[in-house]
Amino acid sequence: MLTRRLIVCLDVKGGRVVKGVRFEGLRDVGDPVELALRYEQEGADEVTFLDISASNEERDTLLDLVRRTAERLFIPLTVGGGVRTADDVGRALRAGADKVSINSAAVARPEVLTECAERFGAQCVVASIDARKDGSGWRVHTHGGRKPTELEAVAWARECVARGAGEVLLTSIDQDGARSGYDLELTRAVADAVDVPVIASGGAGNAEHVREGLTRGGADAALVAGILHDGLTTVGAIKSLLRESGLPIRSTT
Amino acid sequence: MRVTLFDYGAGNIHSLAKALATAEGVDVRVEVDPARAVDTEVLVLPGVGAFGAAAARLAPGREVMRSALERGLPCLGICLGMQLLFDSSDEGEGQGLGYFPGRVTRLAARRVPQIGWNQVDEDSTLSGAKLDTVYYAHSFVCRAEDASVVTGWTTHEEDRFPAVVRRGRVVGVQFHPEKSSSSGVAFVRAFLREVAS
Repeated sequence: MLTRRLIVCLDVKGGRVVKGVRFEGLRDVGDPVELALRYEQEGADEVTFLDISASNEERDTLLDLVRRTAERLFIPLTVGGGVRTADDVGRALRAGADKVSINSAAVARPEVLTECAERFGAQCVVASIDARKDGSGWRVHTHGGRKPTELEAVAWARECVARGAGEVLLTSIDQDGARSGYDLELTRAVADAVDVPVIASGGAGNAEHVREGLTRGGADAALVAGILHDGLTTVGAIKSLLRESGLPIRSTT
Repeated sequence: MRVTLFDYGAGNIHSLAKALATAEGVDVRVEVDPARAVDTEVLVLPGVGAFGAAAARLAPGREVMRSALERGLPCLGICLGMQLLFDSSDEGEGQGLGYFPGRVTRLAARRVPQIGWNQVDEDSTLSGAKLDTVYYAHSFVCRAEDASVVTGWTTHEEDRFPAVVRRGRVVGVQFHPEKSSSSGVAFVRAFLREVAS
């Protein structure tokens, strides 16, 4: 049986892991390679680098970073942020990423998902969706959650998968950074609507929230960031709780 | 020991190259020409891409590679690289190496691709590294005609498929050992020690 995954996300800018609230007041958290290796040792099932750089110069730094990480990290590495074309995806994969997440570019031109899936396989194409509650549904936003679109999140997730995405990374903008738990309703709605793995993101404040995202939310994987970097909990503590709850979890002891 | 990675295009081969290089005395080389790739002590077929495109890249050197394997060249095929050891695939045109009889077909499951960590059952591949939970990222699996070559099985939803096949000095794995953390790296090193030496 497939185990549920715990994915650690590192926000990267200018070759360093940074942390801030809504990309403001950024502070340095550490070296991405060292942090990725530490989380692998602690039992993380995957690592994601989210590039929050503003410039192309910084993006080149990211590819170099991916290269140095892939040489030492022996769990899957996903890279996201600023990916626009199939060529961008190709460069990230060549540098050593196993998967690439695509967000705003897919909204602007959904064909890019198909192009990537045909060239590199659906298993490395992650559709990243940022959604905000809007009436009885959820509206897709782009550009780090700042720009609303015409798209409804559940329908958009279905379309992304139909176009070739092999996974959906689903972030609740409302919950992001709030540490009061994932948007379980949103997660459940998308998980029920698509046949590919859904990664719950945005809002985890403790291990219990992760458990709820995987059980009530129906997600295959949960993405965590700040609560680990801040030392509020550990990979081991989260996985212990998940295992005690009867979820299939990869053991690393 | 000279280890050659046959590079047929897309995908991450850095982690695999480094996993191989963790073994002592291993010299890893990357080769894009399939006929020249067999001039080595160990051949590795890495695992990212689509069958059709990979088979096309393999075609000019297919016979040379196949006979090298039959003569006993140690080989490790990973994911798509394992599939290339079989006859053909529903994923795309072209011929594999046909070292293992059988066809590659789509996983019979609701959730495809299978992405994530899953269990290997009844693993008898190597004595020095027992497989436990390993990382998969694939939509297709190898339907081995001869079940006796299967040295480990995995089940995704209701579909039980070969996780590992072995005949002689050729081993194919559907999962990614280079992405399966320390136990996956240990498997690669044990392969080099037990099968290739």
